[in-house]
Amino acid sequence: MKMASVIVRCSNLAKSSGGIIVPINSLHKQNYCNKPPPPGTPPPQTKTTFGKLSDEDRVFTNLYGRHEWRLKGALKRGDWYKTKEILCKGPDWIINEVKTSGLRGRGGAGFPSGMKWSFMNKPGDGRPKYLVVNADEGEPGTCKDREIMRHDPHKLVEGCLIAGRAIGAKAAYIYIRGEFYNEASNLQVAIAEAYQAGFLGRNACCSGYDFDVFVQRGAGAYICGEETALIESIEGKQGKPRLKPPFPADVGVFGCPTTVNNVETIAVSPTICRRGGAWFASFGRTRNSGTKLFNISGHVNNPCTVEEEMSVPMKELIEKHAGGIIGGWDNLLGVIPGGSSTPVIPKSVCEKAIMDFDGLVAVQTSLGTAALIVMNKQTDIIKAIARLSTFYKHESCGQCTPCREGVDWMNKIMWRFVEGKGKPEEIDMLWELSKEIEGHTICALADGAAWPVQGLIRHFRPEIEARMNKYKEDKIDVKVERC
Amino acid sequence: MYLMLRTTVGRTLGRYQWGQKQLALLRGTSTTVPKPEKIEVFIDDKPVYVEPGTTILQAAALIGIEIPRFCYHERLAVAGNCRMCLVEVEKSPKPVASCAMPVMKGWRIKTNSDMTRKAREGVMEFLLVNHPLDCPICDQGGECDLQDQSMVFGSDKSRFTDIEFSGKRAVEDKNLGPLIKTVMTRCIHCTRCIRFASEVAGIDDLGTTGRGNEMQIGTYVDKFFLSEVSGNVIDLCPVGALTSKPYAFTARPWETRRINSIDVSDAVGSNIVVCARTGDVMRILPRTNEEVNEEWLSDKARFSYDGLKCQRLVSPMLRDCSGELKMVDWEAALLAVADKLGNAGPKVCGIAGSLADAESMVLLKDLVNVLGSELLFTEKSFPLTGSGTDLRTNYLFNNGIAKVEEADVILLVGTNPRLEAPLINTRIRKAFVHNDAQIAVLGPCLDLNYTYEYLGDDPSVLRCILDASHQFHKTLMCAMKPLIIVGSDTLNRRDAAGIITVLQTIANKKKNVTDWKVFNVLHKTASQVAALDIGYKPGIECLKPEMKNVKVLYLLGADEGSFHRKEFPDDTFIIYQGHHGDYGATMADVVLPGAAYTEKQATYVNTEGRTQETIMAVSPPGLAREDWKIIRALSEIVGYRLPYDTLDEVRNRLQEIAPHLTRYNNLEQNSFSGEAAQLAQESDVPLVDAPLCVSQTALEDFYMTDVISRASSTMAKCVAAMQKQRQSRY
Amino acid sequence: MAKFLGLDKLAKLVQIVKDNGGVKASLYKLYRFDDLRTGKLVGVDKYGNKYYENPTFFFGRSRWVEYADYYGMDYDGSQIPAEWFGWMHYKTDLPPMEDPSRPKYKWMLDHVENLSGTPEQYVPYSTTPSKIKAWVPPKRT
Repeated sequence: MKMASVIVRCSNLAKSSGGIIVPINSLHKQNYCNKPPPPGTPPPQTKTTFGKLSDEDRVFTNLYGRHEWRLKGALKRGDWYKTKEILCKGPDWIINEVKTSGLRGRGGAGFPSGMKWSFMNKPGDGRPKYLVVNADEGEPGTCKDREIMRHDPHKLVEGCLIAGRAIGAKAAYIYIRGEFYNEASNLQVAIAEAYQAGFLGRNACCSGYDFDVFVQRGAGAYICGEETALIESIEGKQGKPRLKPPFPADVGVFGCPTTVNNVETIAVSPTICRRGGAWFASFGRTRNSGTKLFNISGHVNNPCTVEEEMSVPMKELIEKHAGGIIGGWDNLLGVIPGGSSTPVIPKSVCEKAIMDFDGLVAVQTSLGTAALIVMNKQTDIIKAIARLSTFYKHESCGQCTPCREGVDWMNKIMWRFVEGKGKPEEIDMLWELSKEIEGHTICALADGAAWPVQGLIRHFRPEIEARMNKYKEDKIDVKVERC
Repeated sequence: MYLMLRTTVGRTLGRYQWGQKQLALLRGTSTTVPKPEKIEVFIDDKPVYVEPGTTILQAAALIGIEIPRFCYHERLAVAGNCRMCLVEVEKSPKPVASCAMPVMKGWRIKTNSDMTRKAREGVMEFLLVNHPLDCPICDQGGECDLQDQSMVFGSDKSRFTDIEFSGKRAVEDKNLGPLIKTVMTRCIHCTRCIRFASEVAGIDDLGTTGRGNEMQIGTYVDKFFLSEVSGNVIDLCPVGALTSKPYAFTARPWETRRINSIDVSDAVGSNIVVCARTGDVMRILPRTNEEVNEEWLSDKARFSYDGLKCQRLVSPMLRDCSGELKMVDWEAALLAVADKLGNAGPKVCGIAGSLADAESMVLLKDLVNVLGSELLFTEKSFPLTGSGTDLRTNYLFNNGIAKVEEADVILLVGTNPRLEAPLINTRIRKAFVHNDAQIAVLGPCLDLNYTYEYLGDDPSVLRCILDASHQFHKTLMCAMKPLIIVGSDTLNRRDAAGIITVLQTIANKKKNVTDWKVFNVLHKTASQVAALDIGYKPGIECLKPEMKNVKVLYLLGADEGSFHRKEFPDDTFIIYQGHHGDYGATMADVVLPGAAYTEKQATYVNTEGRTQETIMAVSPPGLAREDWKIIRALSEIVGYRLPYDTLDEVRNRLQEIAPHLTRYNNLEQNSFSGEAAQLAQESDVPLVDAPLCVSQTALEDFYMTDVISRASSTMAKCVAAMQKQRQSRY
Repeated sequence: MAKFLGLDKLAKLVQIVKDNGGVKASLYKLYRFDDLRTGKLVGVDKYGNKYYENPTFFFGRSRWVEYADYYGMDYDGSQIPAEWFGWMHYKTDLPPMEDPSRPKYKWMLDHVENLSGTPEQYVPYSTTPSKIKAWVPPKRT
């Protein structure tokens, strides 16, 4: 129970203040007192500009599949190098290294991974522990995990072993999205290779540690990317989120303590252990450290997935890697910065936006999965958001009332707004509805459904009103003609 | 006056005890772990001390703050999906679901803050978006949670402007069988019915299909929801999605008079509420009694009430010279009976049936006794060797119904509790689910809703268990709280005495737990325990040697078919007193119309020995009268006036015979199990080779067991539905 | 003088008693009808009721009926058949047998008195099912 409360408090803090675990004041105080910071504290960041990640600092060196993805190629790229030594240093060392790196969950919520793993290190009660890797990458716009799994699967497999060692897990379950057929095949081959090479299974990497990795394919439900729904799905039940508490760290898959991590989080952990947490922490601003895979899609000249330093300015990211907006930067309408569930930001905000957790929270949106959906001025933004509403309506599991009924209702209103059928007061009503949905459900799907609509209303209200006026005028014109 | 005072005080005390127990059982299972320290939380600034693990909703209930809820039900697992119970917790940015969130030390919970009210209003609005506006024609109207809570917690105005563009969601109705009517459009997806089906009823037939707004509650494939306790989902459903099919469109809750009564369809003695309107029983609902039926009710008890309106005896009847039963008035009938009774003298025999109440049985016993006869029998048997029925512990469900759920090992001998006593079976299932109880069955292989170890149907296994040559002996001996439940079908066997002796000896070996009684008898009929308490001899078998001498046979609702007219001499005059025309009335020479359990104030004793009374909800039909009054009137005409003019005087007589018969709602302790076993040992009856069997094996056998349910067309429909279901592919 | 002494009334009484068939018969009629008077016998209907008229009584009380003896005390107004009804109520001064405007057809039914309150009264069948269905004992074969 106590443990649960800690998680509650932390997760609440993470939600409300963008993941400040240790208040800034206390950090300063510690520095003044000249006391060494507790182990696991990332070193303070000294850089002021971010971006321009050099090739030798990239974690995912085969992101574009230009090289061999199988074991041979992976070994060449440095995977499975001295894994035994890392394992033998013990869970405390690994967790400490990850804590030092300041790695935050790459799945969207941004919970500090080192802390999450340390929850698993309380005295056991005889139940086995499990690591579950969330490879159910279903967020529209996001395509980072599939790149890892099809082109660099050994990074993930090795990450499973190291993370599993850190939390003392008996086995890892990789829950992979049903649509990812080739990715699942590659991953399965990689696991088989790892077993054959003695990296997995009994006495993995000759470290004396037994560890198994299983792949479980999903059936393509977005909601199964939610950690408790994912656990239910692994157990063979309907993928519907569970109530928390109890948290998966207490009662997870098959009733045993479980940690659920994103593919990217797991896949970077071997490199962190190899190159040191401090190296990883040297990228990005404090509390937003590391490198990150960014997906840039939409109206850009060169849609791509790219690994870049955290805290890179959005404009630089788009201009440098995606070849700029179609029709030039001035033709930009808005960007959804972190996968479909995050609120859209208009061009004026995009110019200053910094691509990290805190930077995007400051502009009332969120980093999410760092999948930028770029929309230029030729986009019908209302229709775009309405389509997202339809997606969430379709993917709602139907358990909680606000999500089941509210998202459907929002979707209906949104499609009316696309045509302009509605009154300006209804925009306020829609805002209120989205607020009634947000935060009132078991899982965060409803929040994700509410945010795009909120973003739309926050920044594009005049457009909605203009469309309503146009619809009204057209109607009057028709009437006049009829007369 | 004195008597009335006594009953009132007794009842009040009984209620008080019940309240205490209810609190203890609030968490579903009662555990015996030492109590951890209580923690303090503040609800609306009122401090309350609760045990760790208590949810916010339960903590609020302790100080009388009711938090609205739809999906939460204290007897079911927490689902937490309706989101109606959201409350604000200080320092939490989001409201939390109070039904699922355990309280933490020092939490300040606000159940009436702006955030809480806003959340409730929002959820209520969402629930109503797709809920049809058919309250005027909805059977739940007036007792609908959604209606009530939207009045209290909902918004005062509507903004469903979308109705102008697209209508509300419509869902096709499901056919769940002859008992449950579905209007699935009204469903708010609280999943209470699903959880009830899988947790309490133990059949995973109900579930959800589809996602999001298209989610539907149903049976996955086209099949009926048939269970012996299926009717409870009607009570559980907070809206009108699941309503009673027989009750559909017949009455409104505010028009009916609600009378607290007792069910007699089995020996559990479930507490019920009879809803009557203008002299008509409209429906029967369960009444919460933690020690008997919790808040459930079996389908037979709930739906067989239409049998009370069919096949009724509404006028005395007399067989005329042509051999036909003809309606006559009371005078003629009573004179004819008195004439025969007066002449018969000691050759009078009385047989009490399964629905007879204690009062009429006592009067019949007194009448037969003053005529000089001792021939009084019940229809169900019980071995008379050893201490027989002299010690109550021999024939009672000694351990009490409520404590079944604490058991860790349960041995069922020749009984099918699922059909014989569905509400004891739910307790066994509770022990199985929450307590990991190990259950073993000796008897036919049964379809029970829990897994069990099958020990075969050979009674000699019992001897093996006794002399430790059977592996189950070890299980039983290792158990902390074992139960042995023997069914009434076993008691009808020739070697019943032997079986009971063995069982009592086994039970006697386990006496390490105080207040725990291992040996339990599960009766099938509501009258049996009271009849044995009063001093009726169990079973027609005892009558067999005397049968040829019987001149007048007085049947008090004896309809089970345990004897034939041909077994008696041709000139035996048979009097049938009861409320339904069935087996007994057909063979009778005189029929005296009595009252059914909803039509009289009468005493019944359930299988655990708990005395309870039914209250008159409607008056007996036609010329029918309360049973004890008929016998009293008859005694005066015969010439031996029984000295009881009022019900209180009859109950004084009941108290003379057995004091517990008037201590209503009280469970009398009986503690002669050791002595009973010793006495039983002296008469060693050998076990017969015949396999143990039960008369009710499949669900079809459950519905029509007594005169009321046999006359009920609803029950007949259930049997037909069950047979149809058997033929279905699913 | 005789008038002064009321002797003419006495004479009248004697005459009435005489017209009604003697003291015993008069007392019986008085008992049956609470009335005793004399008048001209206008006719007798087929049921045996006798219709009288005495214009010395004032209008409204000048016609009366003596019900047939077999009715005993159970007589009532509905026992007067339709054809005499008009004469009794001064709708016509012609008794039925003298009235030429009274055709007789074969299909005309006999007069039936009002049977309400008697076992032969008309009761329409019920359209509501009875709340309780009584047991019907099986026939012995």
